[in-house]
Amino acid sequence: MRMTIKKFTVCILAAAIALCCLGGCGGRKDGPYAGRTLYIYNTGEYTGEWVLDDFEYQTGCKVIQDEFESNEQMYIKVANGDMYDLLIPSDYMIERLRQEGLIQPLDKSRITCWDLLTDECLGLGYDPQNEYSVPYFWGTVGIAYDKDKVSEEDLEREGWNIFLDPKYKGDMYLYDSERDMFMVALKALGYSMNTKDEGELREAYDWLIRVVENQEPEIVTDEIIDAMAQGRKALGIVYSGDANYIQVENEGMGFYLPEEGTNLWCDAMVIPANAENVDLAYEYINFISQYDEALDNSLTVGYTSPNRDVVEDLTGQGGEYSGIKSYIPRADNPNDEVFEFDADTRRIMADLWAKVKIAASNAN
Amino acid sequence: MKKINQLATPYIIWAGIMILLPMLLILFYAITDSGNGIVSFRLTLKPFGKFFTDPDFLLILWRSLGIALKTTIICIIIGYPVAYYIAGSDDRVQNLLILIITIPTWINMLVRTYAWIGLLSDGGLFSTILGFAGLKDVKLLYTEGAVILGMVYNFIPFMILQINASLSKMDHSLIQAAADLGANRTQCFLKVTLPLSLPGVVNGIALVFLPAVSSFFIPKMLGGGQYYLIGNVIENQFITVGEWNFGSAISIIMAVIMMAFMYVVRAIERRNSTVEEDDRRRRGAAL
Amino acid sequence: MMGKKYKDHNKLSRKKRPIGRLLLILMIIFFYMPIVFVILFSFNDSKSLTAFTGFSTIWYEKLFRSSRMMDSVYTTILVAVIATAVSTIVGTITALGLSKSKKVIRDLVTYVNDFPIMNPEIVTAIGLMLLFLTLGIERGLGTMILAHIAFCIPYVMLSVMPKIRSLDPNMADAAMDLGCTPWQALIKVIVPQIAPGIFSGALIAFTMSFDDFIISYFVTGRGIKNLSISVYTMSKRVNPIINAISTLIIATITLILILVNVVPIIIEKTRKKNENDN
Repeated sequence: MRMTIKKFTVCILAAAIALCCLGGCGGRKDGPYAGRTLYIYNTGEYTGEWVLDDFEYQTGCKVIQDEFESNEQMYIKVANGDMYDLLIPSDYMIERLRQEGLIQPLDKSRITCWDLLTDECLGLGYDPQNEYSVPYFWGTVGIAYDKDKVSEEDLEREGWNIFLDPKYKGDMYLYDSERDMFMVALKALGYSMNTKDEGELREAYDWLIRVVENQEPEIVTDEIIDAMAQGRKALGIVYSGDANYIQVENEGMGFYLPEEGTNLWCDAMVIPANAENVDLAYEYINFISQYDEALDNSLTVGYTSPNRDVVEDLTGQGGEYSGIKSYIPRADNPNDEVFEFDADTRRIMADLWAKVKIAASNAN
Repeated sequence: MKKINQLATPYIIWAGIMILLPMLLILFYAITDSGNGIVSFRLTLKPFGKFFTDPDFLLILWRSLGIALKTTIICIIIGYPVAYYIAGSDDRVQNLLILIITIPTWINMLVRTYAWIGLLSDGGLFSTILGFAGLKDVKLLYTEGAVILGMVYNFIPFMILQINASLSKMDHSLIQAAADLGANRTQCFLKVTLPLSLPGVVNGIALVFLPAVSSFFIPKMLGGGQYYLIGNVIENQFITVGEWNFGSAISIIMAVIMMAFMYVVRAIERRNSTVEEDDRRRRGAAL
Repeated sequence: MMGKKYKDHNKLSRKKRPIGRLLLILMIIFFYMPIVFVILFSFNDSKSLTAFTGFSTIWYEKLFRSSRMMDSVYTTILVAVIATAVSTIVGTITALGLSKSKKVIRDLVTYVNDFPIMNPEIVTAIGLMLLFLTLGIERGLGTMILAHIAFCIPYVMLSVMPKIRSLDPNMADAAMDLGCTPWQALIKVIVPQIAPGIFSGALIAFTMSFDDFIISYFVTGRGIKNLSISVYTMSKRVNPIINAISTLIIATITLILILVNVVPIIIEKTRKKNENDN
C-alpha cells in the first residue's frame, strides 16, 4: 500500500510539473499587450476558427472567451457582477443593458472600422446612433425546409401557420428561445412582435401550446443546424445564418421568409461598464471588423458579416455563399421588425415560454 | 496530545461557511421575494405556492422520480447477476473484472454521455441495426428511452461495485453450511446470499437513485430540449429565467425529498449491515 | 480447509453459469461500445458521427492547434490536483482532531458533512453559487477550486475516520513514552497506520473532482472551463474534436489505471522471484 501511495504522489507531482511547463508556453511575450487578458462573452460556436489565436499573436495578450446559450443567460451573469471586457449580445439585450447602465458608451474616435460596415446593420432601433455597439453578425429568422417534403405553395399560403399544418406533424423543429418563438407566434397571428398587449401575448401562448400539443415538435437549440443539414425533419425555425450553412451542406434544403414578417436581428459588440481592459476591447472590435478576420468569422460560422466587402465576395461569383438568398437579409418587407426591449413583456414571455416547454415535455 | 482536538477547529469554521451557509442561503432565497438582492426582501411562501399549485411542475417532479426509479430497477435487475457472477470468480479474475467495470467510470461522464448521441442518432449504429431488422425510422435519440439508457449506462457501475463488495465480503461458510444442511441452490441463494447482500443493494440504490433524480445534462443531451426533468427546471430557473427565488424553492423541495429518501435508505442499511464501514466507499471500492 | 471446499464449490457452479457469463460479456460490450465508438470516430476524416468515411488525424491537429481546448484539460487537472492535495491533508488532520473531540462535536461535523454527500449535486452547486455571489467573490478558477475542496473533504473524512477509529489509542502514547515528540508520533506512528484510508480518500477526491460537471458549471465564471463544461457547451453541434479530446482522456486514464494496478503485481512477482533465487 505504501508503495502505491508513493506512486500516486509521484504521479500527481509529475502531472503538476507537466502542467506548469505546458501552461507556461503559448502566447507571444513581446506584443504590446503582453501579460494582459481579454475576457470576451460570446454565443457558443460564434467565432472564426483562428480569429482568437491571430489576435493573441498580434497583441501578445491572452483571450479567454466564455460562451452563453442565450442572451438571458448572459444577462444574469453580467447583472450579477461577473466581469468581462467585451460582450456580444443581440439587439434587444443591448437595449436592456443600456437601460440598466451595464454597458458604457463607446469612444467613437477609437473605432476605426465604421466605413467597412454595411449601412443596413447600422443605426437600428436598439442603438440608433451606434453609441454603444458595433455590429458582429446580422440576419433574419425564417423557415428551413426540405424541398422534397414541403411545397412552396404551402409555405406561401400558410406562412408561419405551416407549423400548425397536420401534414407536418412530428416532422418539425422549434427553436428554444422565448423571443424567437413568440415572434413566430405573434407574426402568425398578424400582430407586431413588439406588442405589449397581454391579450395578444396570451393568444401567442395559446398558438404555441397548440403547436406543442398537436404537432409533436422537437424543441432544440443549435442541434437544429446539423439535423436540418442532414434533412432529418421537414421544417425548422432557424436563423438565416444557420440556413446558409444548412443550404451549403445540403442542396435539398430551402429557406423561406414568410410575408407576415420576421425578426431582423443584429448581434453586436458592447463594452460592459465594469470592463477592466477597455483598450484591448477596442483593439478587438477594430480587429474583428477587418476583412480577413470578418471573412474567417463568416466562413466558419456561416452568418452574415457586417463587413461590406466580405458580403460581396462571399455572395459574388464563386463565393462560398453565391446563390444562397438567405445570406443577404431581407430589407424590403414592411412587416419585418427589430426587437425592442420591454421588461414586463420579457418577464411574461419568459414565464409563458417556460410553461410551453413544460407542456411540450408533458405532451410526449 | 490534548491539543490535538483543536486540529478540527479550522474545518468546523470552514464547514460552517462552505456547507451550512450555502444551504441557509438557498433557504433564504426560497422564502423571500427580493429579486436577486439581499438588501430589500420580504418573507413569502409564494415560490413554494407556485410549484405546488401548478400541475405541470408536479408532473415533472413525478416523472423525474419515475425515471430515477426505472433506472434504479433496471440497474438492480442487470447489475445483480453481473455482480454475482463476478463475485463467484476466483480472486485474480475478480480483480480484473472489477477493473474492467471501473475504467469507464473514470472517464468523464459528459464524454460518455456524448458518445451515445452518435450511436443513437438517425443513421447511427443502432438505427442501422434496427433498419436491417425491418424496423425503419424508429426514433432513438431524444426519447425517454434514451434518457433512461444514458442514466443506466452512467450509474450501473456503482450498483455492480456495491453489490459485488457485499457479496465478496460475505462469509461463504454460511452457504456451505446451508448446502450441507440440505438446502438446494435456489434455497441457498434466497435464504442466505440474497439477505446478506442486501446492504450492497441498498447502497447501490442510493448511489443510482440520487444522481438520477437530479441529473440535468443526461436529459438535456439525450432527451433533447423539450425533455424536462426537475434538474432541468432548476437549472433553467437559475441560468436562463433568472427566477432565483423560485429555483431555490424547487431546490429545497428536491433536497427535502432526497434527504428523506436517504434517511430511509440508511435506516434500512443500518438494520441490515453488521459492518459499519459499508457505506464508506463510493468509487474507491474497486481499487 | 473451508477455503478449499468453497473453491471447489465455486468451480463447480461456474461451469453451470453460462447465463451469468453471457450477461457479463454483454455488459462489457455495453460499457465499452460507446468508448470504442468515440475513439473510432475521432479518426474520421469527415464531420459525420454516423458514417466512417476514412482515416485521418485532422481532429487531433485541430485540437492541438486550438489552445482553448487544451486549456480546459489543464484546468481540469490543475483543479483536481489542488483539490485532492488540500482536501486530503485537511480531511486527514480534521479527522485526527475530531477523534479526540467531544462526541457532540464529532456528530455535528458528521451531520454537516452529510449535506454535500446526500444532497443532489445541483443543490450543493446552487448553494455555493449563491454563497460566492453573496460574499462578492468573483467567480472563476479560484471559486472552482474552493468548491471542489468543499465537496471533496467530506469524502476524504468518510474514508479516513473508520481507520482512525480502529487505531489502538495507546499507540501514540507508547511512541511518546519512547521519546517521540507529538509531531513525530503523528507522522511516524499514526499516519502510516491510517495510510490506506488516506489513500482511498485521495483517490475518491481526485475522481470526484476530475469528473465534476454540475458544481463547476454553477461556480465558474469568466470563461474558465473544465473538460466537462467544454464538452457540455460544444455538444450541441457535431464536433469531432470532442471525440479527439475524449480519446486522449480515455487513453491517459486507462494507462494510469493499468500502471497503478499492474505495477505493484509485477514488483511483487519480481521480489518473490528474487527471494526464491536467493
